[in-house]
Amino acid sequence: MTLLEAIPQATTPTVQLPTLLLSGMVWVPALAAIGLLFFPTRTDAHRERIRSFAIGTAALVLALAVVMWYGFRDQSGTFAYEETRPWLPAAGSSYHLGVDGVSMAMLLLSAFLFLFAVLASGRVREQVKEYFILLLILETGVNGVFASLDYLLFFLFWQLQAVPMFLLIARFGGARRLSAAWKFLAIDLAGSGLLLLAILILYFKAPARTFDMVTLHDATLPVALATLIAWLFFIAFAVRLPVFPFHTWFIDAQAEASAPVVMILAGLFVKLGGYGIIRVDVGEFQAAFHKIVGAVVVIAVITVLWSAVAALAQDNLRRLLGYVVMSHMGLVLLGAAAAVPLAINGAVLMMLADGLTAGLLVLLAAATVERANTSSIRAMGGMAGRMSRSTILWMLAALAAAGFPGLAGFVGQLLIVLGAYPGHRLATPLALLGVLAVAGVLIWTIQRIFFGPAAEQHGRVRDLGTLELANGVGLLSLIVLLGVLPAILMDSVNFSVLTMLSRGGG
Amino acid sequence: MILTLLAAAPKGPLDTWSPTLLTLFALLLPLIALLIILAFTVDSRRMSAAISVIFTLAAVVCAILVVAIEIAHPLHLERNGTFLQLFTGQTGVASEFVLQWGVLADPLAAVMLTVVTLTSLLVQVYALGFIRREDGPVRFFCVLLFATFAMTGVALSTSYFEMLFFFGLVTLSTYLMIGYWWQREEAVAAASRAFIISAAGDLALLGGVAYIFFRFSELNFQTLASQYTGGKVGANGLFIMSVLVFLGAAAKSAQFPLHAWLPGSAQAPAPAAALLHSAGAALCGVYLVARAYALFHASPRGLALLAIVGGLTAVLGVLWALFQENLKRAIAYTTMSELGLMVLALGLGAYGASIFEVFAHAWPKALLFLAAGVTIRELRTERLAEMGGLWRRMPLTGWVMIIAVAAGAGIPPFSTFWSKDAILSKALALRSPLAVIAITAVTFLGAMALVRIFRLAFTGETVRRRRFEPERIRDASGRVAIAMVILAIPCTVAGIRGFRGRTDPIAFVTFPGLTLSNSHFAAAALTAAAAVLGAVVAWAIYARRARPVSALEPIRRTMGEGLFIERAYQFGATGLLLPASRAAGWIEQRVDGTIDLVGDSVAFLGQPRRWLPDVRAGQLLVGLFAAVAALAIATIVLAGRVIGRVG
Repeated sequence: MTLLEAIPQATTPTVQLPTLLLSGMVWVPALAAIGLLFFPTRTDAHRERIRSFAIGTAALVLALAVVMWYGFRDQSGTFAYEETRPWLPAAGSSYHLGVDGVSMAMLLLSAFLFLFAVLASGRVREQVKEYFILLLILETGVNGVFASLDYLLFFLFWQLQAVPMFLLIARFGGARRLSAAWKFLAIDLAGSGLLLLAILILYFKAPARTFDMVTLHDATLPVALATLIAWLFFIAFAVRLPVFPFHTWFIDAQAEASAPVVMILAGLFVKLGGYGIIRVDVGEFQAAFHKIVGAVVVIAVITVLWSAVAALAQDNLRRLLGYVVMSHMGLVLLGAAAAVPLAINGAVLMMLADGLTAGLLVLLAAATVERANTSSIRAMGGMAGRMSRSTILWMLAALAAAGFPGLAGFVGQLLIVLGAYPGHRLATPLALLGVLAVAGVLIWTIQRIFFGPAAEQHGRVRDLGTLELANGVGLLSLIVLLGVLPAILMDSVNFSVLTMLSRGGG
Repeated sequence: MILTLLAAAPKGPLDTWSPTLLTLFALLLPLIALLIILAFTVDSRRMSAAISVIFTLAAVVCAILVVAIEIAHPLHLERNGTFLQLFTGQTGVASEFVLQWGVLADPLAAVMLTVVTLTSLLVQVYALGFIRREDGPVRFFCVLLFATFAMTGVALSTSYFEMLFFFGLVTLSTYLMIGYWWQREEAVAAASRAFIISAAGDLALLGGVAYIFFRFSELNFQTLASQYTGGKVGANGLFIMSVLVFLGAAAKSAQFPLHAWLPGSAQAPAPAAALLHSAGAALCGVYLVARAYALFHASPRGLALLAIVGGLTAVLGVLWALFQENLKRAIAYTTMSELGLMVLALGLGAYGASIFEVFAHAWPKALLFLAAGVTIRELRTERLAEMGGLWRRMPLTGWVMIIAVAAGAGIPPFSTFWSKDAILSKALALRSPLAVIAITAVTFLGAMALVRIFRLAFTGETVRRRRFEPERIRDASGRVAIAMVILAIPCTVAGIRGFRGRTDPIAFVTFPGLTLSNSHFAAAALTAAAAVLGAVVAWAIYARRARPVSALEPIRRTMGEGLFIERAYQFGATGLLLPASRAAGWIEQRVDGTIDLVGDSVAFLGQPRRWLPDVRAGQLLVGLFAAVAALAIATIVLAGRVIGRVG
């Protein structure tokens, strides 16, 4: 019996309390954040307790996610673990949560990444309580967006993420953190404004006065209006993605925020943009989205190529990683735009792979920058002698980001290429060129950092510590697992994608 | 291993699964050895080496058994596994894309498998004595095992997808091998160059895979073999497919103009270079073309492309080899020429001959690099101009070198004579004067290049250098010597086509629809004459270390630098891309500046520097929710106004 057959297949969620698991995943971090308010912070022991509490919360959320996934096999075509509770009946909004294959996979990613981020937060020494409170509220916001099936709820959870992320960048970052934080907030709020606009237009113009995604799916709208709404949604999500030319907030935030925050930022935050496009534009507004696909593909290709070219001259290691993530998200956008099952499967898988890979790269980059005492690649060199573990992890992470076979990114890229090529004969090879360029830049970067003659000042650097190594290896094993056995997740994702596409929608 | 033998022993009529089980073992044994070493014996040099050698030996045994079975009953069998399946197909709705992974056993795979595993084994035995403690022997064996696994995977791939997968692994293993001595800048640069060219080829192959899947909805080699001529895809489509697939193969097999990485591969340690050139990345490309030959056979333009590029590569490689000052680079360029010859043979339709050339060429090439390694280690120089007179001081290495040179040059009765003879026969049968001239010239010049190496390094007087005492040169001994001597045996006998029928190496690997090229006496004579003549001419020319004629200096330098193609690559990279990148950075700063204005104005309104550090957690939360609520209300009100106007 193969490994895959050993995983039980259930046709309905078999948990006794299905309705609480999803709400639990969404609200447990917020409750924990409120609980943290009452923790004292005077001594080091107190701060250790706060840290342990946060780790426990993240672990609990991960356990919930794994339990949910284990009992989850979406065969029925509807959403699983659905919860519908009245909330604002006058406004037409209900507390409607639910997951399908795509959101389940993203929730798993979120749970894993937040746990790794919390584990990697060992260097936070001051304002520990505030830090973890903000992080946990951020988790609530992120999980809430993945789980929402009501537009108003979607928007509120989306907004919930803005201020914690702003504060995390502003208070726990590098030298130019304030400028980066304000830039982020300004752009993010602009995007959310567009998001709200789109939602409200939909609300007022749809036959039924409701915010419910499932109900609104069947609403028919005049073509021009649907196209406008699709555009607004797309721009709102694309700003988060980030696409060219709205990407500078992301690159700056990558350079200035602290490592765990950047892990969440690069690994999860920007994936929300991709998720939004797949869930809303492709899932709900397929026909309308089909009209604007040309422009979307052009934007995607420009994003990939721009990030590849910009990465070449980049000397700052952390900004370089920002461009790497950006190029991957451009590829995801291409896959989402192609709107065939193969490509969207690839887009989802690419988001998962990039989330893990970006997380790993960010961790390693933070460790390397700290040891070398500089972010400048030119100032590094020959560090492989003292940092052999780092070198191996870096190489594997770079290969994963480059889409190497056996690691997570390969299958995602393959599927996007296979799926997008028939419909976009010119765009796909161009995007492939961008991918090659990024791969080359990453290898070249590793060469510049680790190989060659050793620079004088790096004579006494230490290699990765135990916790850092454990984090890195943990992420790496997930990357390898996803690369060798993508079927673990892809079956349910595939089914949901097929369902999504067959349901159509205008 | 005993279980393997018992399991594979035919019980009555041949069990159809046994060759595939053996190939599966041959594939997995290096990987298992690698994992065991990484997990358990990383600290012990001896244990790691032992595990590596033993497991590779087991893989060799499996390979030989497969060859034996295939000789007895040639079959084309596949065994599919359930790893790397993308969709299990259990979701009820038929998934449109199911990726499968498996191994296959047929004569072609068997030949390649034998070459890879046996070369790997002998290289490892050599490495036991060659890699010193300070070079990190455990790391070396791990790299070798990984490379063996990747190359075996290529040999046993059942579909384009799997080939793509293992091609990626081969690219990585090439990078690891060339960049092994990472402290050296040239090695690292060469490794990066190899990686980028190989990865570019892999991406082209990915494009080809996408296109093939798009048109045929199928990626399995055997299933596709009959579909190419079915009329589903027109001639142009087939040509595009063959071009893309060939690009992937050409990057791996150093065809012109993607050859720039091959001279750099001389930076690898000698045993790694031996593996790379005889059975490694260099061969995987040729193997891909052979495996996908049905595609090329269906596209005449594709075949023509093979012939032209192969011929060009063969001629250029051997010309450049004649002007190299560096021993390992000279050998590397001869590899390029041989690879071109293999591709040319495939383009001519000499399928069996080409595979035979692959088989026959692996042994002398590996032996050349191994001998070069010993020579360089003893003389502490890589430059031919600083060598000489080693024949007296290193007799064993000298004899081994002679055999390798003779085998590589095509002097009868050594290995490549028979294969080159077969290729030439096909060219004669096709009555193509260009092909005949090209092959003969390549044989002639190839013999010249190799004998030149031997002449300059081993005969004459040892050049006197500062701080170097020729009396301290010792001959190869111990495991290094054993490996080289064992390798000399196939160099001598591997080619001999004693038997017609199934055990004839050329008839062993066949392609349906292609007639075997029986050797004419004319072809044999021509090959032998060209090789021997080349050897004699080189012996005469390079006898004395004559002062190079200064008028020829520009030609010498141009040829030595490989027509400056490497420089062209570098210029392309730095001259074109970097300014583009800086321009992009400049534009970014402008865009950034605009957005910065927005951000700064918001900041100015908020004046965060005053209150941010002093806020306590409670205030923070209250402020947070208040801000969110305020923002939400404001946006709703504003949006309502907008919608009112839109509606």
